[in-house]
Amino acid sequence: MVWEYLSYIFWGVPWTLGLVGGGLALGFIIGLPIAIGQVYGSKGLKAALDMYVWFFRSTALLVLLFLFFWGVFPAFGFKLDALICSIVVLGLRTGAYQSQIFRGAIESVGEGQLIAACALGMSKLRGIYHIVLPQALRISLPGWSNEYAIILKDSAICFALGVQEILTRTRYVVMATHEPLLPYFIAGALFIVLTYGVTKIINIVYEKAKIPGLVGRM
Amino acid sequence: MSNEDVVLKVENVHKSYGNNKVLTGVSFEVRRAEIKIICGPSGSGKSTLLRCLNLLTQPDKGHVWLEGEEVTDPTTDISKVRQKIGFVFQEFNLFNHLNALRNVSIGLEVVKGMKKDEARKIALRELGKVGLEEHAHKYPAELSGGQKQRVAIARALAMNPVIMFYDEPTSALDPQLIGEVLDVMKKLAKEKLTSLVVTHEMGFAQSVGDEMMFMIDGKILERGTPLQVIQNPKHKITKLFFEHIAKLYMRQVR
Repeated sequence: MVWEYLSYIFWGVPWTLGLVGGGLALGFIIGLPIAIGQVYGSKGLKAALDMYVWFFRSTALLVLLFLFFWGVFPAFGFKLDALICSIVVLGLRTGAYQSQIFRGAIESVGEGQLIAACALGMSKLRGIYHIVLPQALRISLPGWSNEYAIILKDSAICFALGVQEILTRTRYVVMATHEPLLPYFIAGALFIVLTYGVTKIINIVYEKAKIPGLVGRM
Repeated sequence: MSNEDVVLKVENVHKSYGNNKVLTGVSFEVRRAEIKIICGPSGSGKSTLLRCLNLLTQPDKGHVWLEGEEVTDPTTDISKVRQKIGFVFQEFNLFNHLNALRNVSIGLEVVKGMKKDEARKIALRELGKVGLEEHAHKYPAELSGGQKQRVAIARALAMNPVIMFYDEPTSALDPQLIGEVLDVMKKLAKEKLTSLVVTHEMGFAQSVGDEMMFMIDGKILERGTPLQVIQNPKHKITKLFFEHIAKLYMRQVR
């Protein structure tokens, strides 16, 4: 009986990781170009990107979820599945946060190396791709791992749309058994394991990717 | 002198940042195999001048030609032009995430579209020229300042440039590391590699420089052989400048 409930909660893990993985990936696709635009773009482009970042960093996640699920997508005629909608909203939001991680990292690489790349005959874009980004992404890893931990914990709020993640399932169990302590305890433990395990892995990647000799700066 | 002998022609180049006039009409030519020295007090526009010549900085006015092709013509493919100019920076600007070998080969691969093996061979050869073959696997952070600058010179040489620009290549170095960089530059000068050198190394200027231009307030104040300009300048301000440099240099030696 208990094991049945437990495995039901455990099966929320792939859903939670789907939300987090999808959201982080979408956020990366959105955040990196925003960062590049904010560092190297024209004044107009920078202002537009600042607006985007400002908007998604200033609004409550739950409000964004409801806004997009009940408001924005239906208004454009989309009927998105709760999971997809949640991933999109998490992605739009973490994209704004990730852009600031990448922006700081790009700026810390310094413009001298990009100038040197251009002096060799690379276009600015090629210089950014071959010279700046490989270093900036390494520098971003600790901040990015932090962002993973944040979005993992934020993802629980998607229970509000009924996505079958850990918290949603735990609530069902609590409602069925009228026994809140153990299920919520397990849900909390699952989040701890997921936070700790994955940040640990990212840390190992970070250590492996370190540039030899560049100890202090990285 | 025939026109083919002129590698770089600079005509009336101006550059301002707001009210700050950095370059106020600079003109000169560099002939093939010539070693041209630029010196002058800091803020006189030397670095800006070099950057205006390959459009790392866009000049406000004036024209630049490299081997007869107008660099400042908006229709010119500036990336093609820059490949032919080896640029050595004061702060080295090596690519920190690449080892010495890849620092030299990446331009060949990305810009010239060379195969990895071929680029590697050339990179090793160029590192050999600056005496760093056995350091090819080291990353910039593992090299001394002098070694970094020699890698930077090899990186520029690998592109097979028609002219080298050196922007105060020894100014960021500890005194005991300057010699190894100057030795490489002297060797290249003796191999008749056309060069435009911003430097305050008077010994280097006198031993390999063909002409020296003294810049102040964004203009070339006087020019002549390095010996003339250093030892027998026409203007008082030039004289004061070199006296000052000599004093500094003496202090360094002691």
